[in-house]
Amino acid sequence: MIKFKNVNKWFGSLHVLNDINLQVSAGEVVVVCGPSGSGKSTLIRCINRLERIQKGELFVDGMPLHDSTINLTKLRAEIGFVFQQFHLYPHLSVLENVTLAPIHVRKMKKKEAEALAMEKLERVGLADKATAHPEQLSGGQQQRVAIARGLAMSPKILLFDEPTSALDPEMIGEVLAVMVKLAQEGMTMCVVTHEMGFARQVAHRVIFMDEGKIIETGKPDQFFDNPQSDRAAMFISKILKH
Amino acid sequence: MLEFFSFRTIWEYRSLFQEGLRNTFLISIVSLFLALIAGVLACAARLSGWRGLRGVSIAYIESIRSTPLLVQIYFLYFGLPTLGIRIPEIQTGILALMLNSGAYIAEIVRAGITSVPGGQIEAGISSGLSYFQRMRFIILPQALGVTVPPLLGQAITLVKDSALLSMISVVELTRSGQMLTSERFMPAEAFFTVALLYLVIYFFLKYLSGWSQKKLIFRET
Ligand SMILES: Nc1ncnc2c1ncn2[C@@H]1O[C@H](COP(=O)(O)OP(=O)(O)OP(=O)(O)O)[C@@H](O)[C@H]1O
Ligand SMILES: [Mg+2]
Repeated sequence: MIKFKNVNKWFGSLHVLNDINLQVSAGEVVVVCGPSGSGKSTLIRCINRLERIQKGELFVDGMPLHDSTINLTKLRAEIGFVFQQFHLYPHLSVLENVTLAPIHVRKMKKKEAEALAMEKLERVGLADKATAHPEQLSGGQQQRVAIARGLAMSPKILLFDEPTSALDPEMIGEVLAVMVKLAQEGMTMCVVTHEMGFARQVAHRVIFMDEGKIIETGKPDQFFDNPQSDRAAMFISKILKH
Repeated sequence: MLEFFSFRTIWEYRSLFQEGLRNTFLISIVSLFLALIAGVLACAARLSGWRGLRGVSIAYIESIRSTPLLVQIYFLYFGLPTLGIRIPEIQTGILALMLNSGAYIAEIVRAGITSVPGGQIEAGISSGLSYFQRMRFIILPQALGVTVPPLLGQAITLVKDSALLSMISVVELTRSGQMLTSERFMPAEAFFTVALLYLVIYFFLKYLSGWSQKKLIFRET
């Protein structure tokens, strides 16, 4: 589904992605973690080409992203992205947030799109908020709407960039619950997060990054209980203190 | 003092003031309309990915904002004929006001567009929306709210700036005051009336501004 082959990227002289090799197959849930500035966001932002890679090859759903002639709209329509800061459209209602792309990208009829959106809002437990505006919702609810917005495009892959980092602690659970459900239903997911509980519960693999490199890859329990590298061990001891 | 103030003369010259008011009004409306188009185009060029276009737009905006309007008016009024372009004073005046306001409007529109957080644009990109779809459904509806009040401010400025066209003998409101002054020496009457009429236009635009703001805020909730 996703295949990084010797991928490199620089921001100026900063080597943010250093020879990344990674494969994610359909239905797999991969958690990416690592210290701040290690390139986690950049890594997953490359998958829907919010960032361009500069060297190497990256295939997503069969499309070569290193090739500049691919149909980006088509690629992005198949990939949902959930941001740390939700980024809902504040001038639109919850329902309109969710139907915008189905109507204008998928060219669905409004009625159809609304039915679909209601179904997705139901899944994240917010069907009763359809007519509300984003500012009337709590952070956790906004993030669940953002997930519904992604789901409404029936994506093949869902990407999450620290989806719970901007939330108050009491709201993290509700968002993780939705994500766990998606994972168990077989969604292909790449999740940047430090939520160890989530990783242990549903992740097939944990990727540990530092300074633009993948330092370690392993099954969640094995990675958290028995990290191979010193850097990973140090990182885990730090997040455990929280 | 009032006994020296000749309302009769003002009334006598009412058709002159009428002409001045009408011209000021028409010149302002036409210039504003053209300036909006110029401003939006300049803003689009300013934000475009194409370097040359961006450079042209920045050069235009900055050269307008850094020079006095009167100089720009003279520049066109005396400069165009030397290039073999002969157009009447009114059109020259409209061109000057359009170019001048266009530069300011370009910056107002740009501020509106850049006020929309980049994350929302990325969210739009991520769901496959095209550039124009993002503009139309995400950016412009939000930019409008922050753009309209300063735009009306610019419209008020434009009306007042149009007084400078009296310097190239366009018979607008200020010019009609000058004409009365030179025919009968009554500058107080003349410019009191002129000022009063500008005030009328000002309050009309202010009213419009309040009304549109109410409309916009209403739309948002
Ligand atoms: N657009 C950019 N231009 C220049 N440098 C950037 C840009 N985006 C990110 N960087 C830098 O690249 C490095 C990796 O950034 P990235 O956001 O991928 O890290 P991260 O692992 O997601 O960190 P965090 O946990 O803080 O989100 C950082 O040093 C960051 O400052
Ligand atoms: Mg990040």
